[in-house]
Amino acid sequence: MKILLIEDEKELAESIIGYLTGNNFVCEWANSLHSAIDKISSYEYDCILLDLMLPDGYGFEILKELKQQNKTEGVIIISAKETLETRIEGFNLGADDYLTKPFHLSELLVRIQALIRRKNFNGNNILSYNEIEIDILSKTVKVKNTKLEITKKEFELLLFLIGNKNKVLSKSAIAEHLSGDMADMLDNHDFVYAHIKNLKNKLRDAGGSDYIKTVYGLGYKWQND
Amino acid sequence: MTKKLIHKTSKTYLLLTTILLVITAPAFYFLIQNLYLEDIDEALELRKNEFMQFTVNQLKENDISVWNKYNRNIKILENQSIKNDIYFYKNYYDSLSNEDEPYRELNAPFFIESKPYTLSVRANMVESEDLIISIFIIYTFLLSFLLLGLFFINKRLSAKLWKPFYQTLEQIERFEIDKTNQLQLPKTNIVEFNRLNQSIEKLIEKNTSIYRNQREFVENAAHELQTPLAVFQAKIDTLIQRSDVSEEQSVILGSLNESVSRLNRLNKNLLLLSKIENENYNEKQTIVLNEIIEKQLGFFNEQAYSKGIRLKTELSKQLFIQSNQTLAEILISNLFMNAIKHNIKNGQVWIKLTENSIVFSNTGIPQSLNKEKLFNRFSKANPSEQGNGLGLAIVNKIAEISHWPVSYSFTENIHSFTVNF
Repeated sequence: MKILLIEDEKELAESIIGYLTGNNFVCEWANSLHSAIDKISSYEYDCILLDLMLPDGYGFEILKELKQQNKTEGVIIISAKETLETRIEGFNLGADDYLTKPFHLSELLVRIQALIRRKNFNGNNILSYNEIEIDILSKTVKVKNTKLEITKKEFELLLFLIGNKNKVLSKSAIAEHLSGDMADMLDNHDFVYAHIKNLKNKLRDAGGSDYIKTVYGLGYKWQND
Repeated sequence: MTKKLIHKTSKTYLLLTTILLVITAPAFYFLIQNLYLEDIDEALELRKNEFMQFTVNQLKENDISVWNKYNRNIKILENQSIKNDIYFYKNYYDSLSNEDEPYRELNAPFFIESKPYTLSVRANMVESEDLIISIFIIYTFLLSFLLLGLFFINKRLSAKLWKPFYQTLEQIERFEIDKTNQLQLPKTNIVEFNRLNQSIEKLIEKNTSIYRNQREFVENAAHELQTPLAVFQAKIDTLIQRSDVSEEQSVILGSLNESVSRLNRLNKNLLLLSKIENENYNEKQTIVLNEIIEKQLGFFNEQAYSKGIRLKTELSKQLFIQSNQTLAEILISNLFMNAIKHNIKNGQVWIKLTENSIVFSNTGIPQSLNKEKLFNRFSKANPSEQGNGLGLAIVNKIAEISHWPVSYSFTENIHSFTVNF
C-alpha cells in the first residue's frame, strides 16, 4: 500500500512515516503544496494524508487538483484547524476523513485502513487474523467458525487492536478511540481495562489464542507469539 | 442616600426660595411700615409748622373753641405741660365707622396770648395699615410667582440640558464588552457632554481592543500549541513501540502519555471556549434535550461505572429548547462530566428534567463550593484535582450567551447545578 503524506512539520512527518512503515505501507513525504502536486500527478496512491496549512498554500488546493485530474485517491485531512466550516468544506471538496491534531498514530493507522477498505471494497468485507474472522459490515466476529457474542465497543476494540498489530497501544489511545466524539470528555481511562478483559475472555472461551498482551505501565499490544 | 441630580438642584432651589420668602416678607413689611410712619410724622410736622407760622399769630383765646369745632385733626388742647414735640399712637372713637381707630398724633407746646397751650395734630392710620398690607400681599405674591416660575423653568431646562447625559448613561449601562453591539452616543452641542462622550468612546474602544486581543491571544495560543502537541504525542507513540523499554521507563512513558492527553483536552477546551465566545455557534434549531441526554448516557455510564458511581435519571418530561445543537451537547456533557469527576467513591449522580429546567445533582465533598469563583476558568475546589477547571466555565459561557440562568446549590451534602431554559 502506498501512502502520500503531505505535511510540513518534519518531526511529525518522521513519526508518522516511522509508524506506518512497519505495517505493510510504503510512505512518501511531501512537505509543500508544490511537491505534493508533482507527486500526485506522477504516481498513484492508496491514500493521501493531507495537512491544510502548508508553507506555499492551502491544502484544499490538493483536493481541487485531484478532482481536476479525475483521481480517486482516498484523502484524510490531518489538521490543527478544527471548525465545522473547514470540515464541511473539506468533505465537499472530496476528502474522506478528517483527523484533528494532535492525534494518536494508532488512530491514524486504523483510519487509513478503514478508508482503504472502503475504497477497495470488492464484495470482500472479511478481515481475517489466524483463527479470527471479522465481518466489517455486519459487525460480527467468528473464532474457528463460532460466532462470538460481542458488544459494539468490544468489536471496535478488536478492530483497533488487530489494525495496530504488533504495536503498543497506550490506554489513552484506546480510550480515545472507543469514545469517539466524546473523547474530550474523558475523565479517566480505567474503563479500557474492563473492555480488554471482556474481549480477552470471549476470545479465549471461543478457543482463540491469547493475542492481547499487557504492556506494563503503558497499555496493551496485539501480538502473535 | 443617592438621589437624582435634578432632585438635588431642585431641592436647593426650593430651600432657597422658602428661606428668601420667610425672611424677606416680614423684613419688607417692617421696612414699608417704617417708611410710612416717617412719612406721616413728616406730614404731621409740616401741618404743625404751617399752624405755628400762619395761624397762631391771628388766634385769640376766644377763638379756641371755634377752632376746635371746625378742625377735626388739628386741635388746641389745654396745656399738657410738655416741653418738646412728642409723637405717639392713640385710639380715637370714630363716629362714622362706629369704632376705635388708630391715630398717629403730634403734640407740641405753644402760646396764645402768652398763655401756654398744647397743639394736637393727628392722622388716621387705618388707611395706611390697609395700604401696607396690600403692598405686602402684592409683594409676597409677586415674589412667589417669580420664584415658582424660575423653579419650573430651571427644572425643565435641567431636564433638557441633562438629556444627553442620561442617554449616554443608558448606553453605557447596556454596553457589554463581549458583545459586538456598538455604542451609539448622542450628539450634543454642549462642550462638556461632548468631552464626556468622546472620553467614553475612547475608553471603550481601547478596552474592546484589549479584550479582543486577549481573546485572540487565548485562541491563537491554543491553536499554535496544537502542532507541538501533535509532535509530542507522535513521539511518545513512537517511543513506546521500542522493545528495549524497561519497566521503569514504561511507567514514566505511561504517565507522560496521560499528561499529554490531559494537555490535549485542556487545549481543546480552551479553543472551544474561545469559539463559543466568538459566537461560532449561532445556528439555532429546536432540540429535544432528552435525546441529547440519552445519547450521552452510555458514555457517561461507563465513565461513572469505573469509579463506582451510579447515574440515576428522571427524564419523564420532554424538554424542548431553542439552541445550537453543538452547544446543547457540550453543555450537557460538561454537566455530566462535572458531576462524575467531582464525586466520591460509590457516589451518585441524579439527572432530572422538568418542563423548563435540568438539574444535575451529585454527591461530593461535604462542603459548599465557592459560588463566586465556581464558574471561573481554572477555579478548582481542590488544586490537586485531575480536571482542567474549564468544564463549568464552558457551561457558564454557553448558558450566558443563550440567556439561560444557571445556578448552584448545596443541601444535605448534595451539590446541584440547575440550568433554567
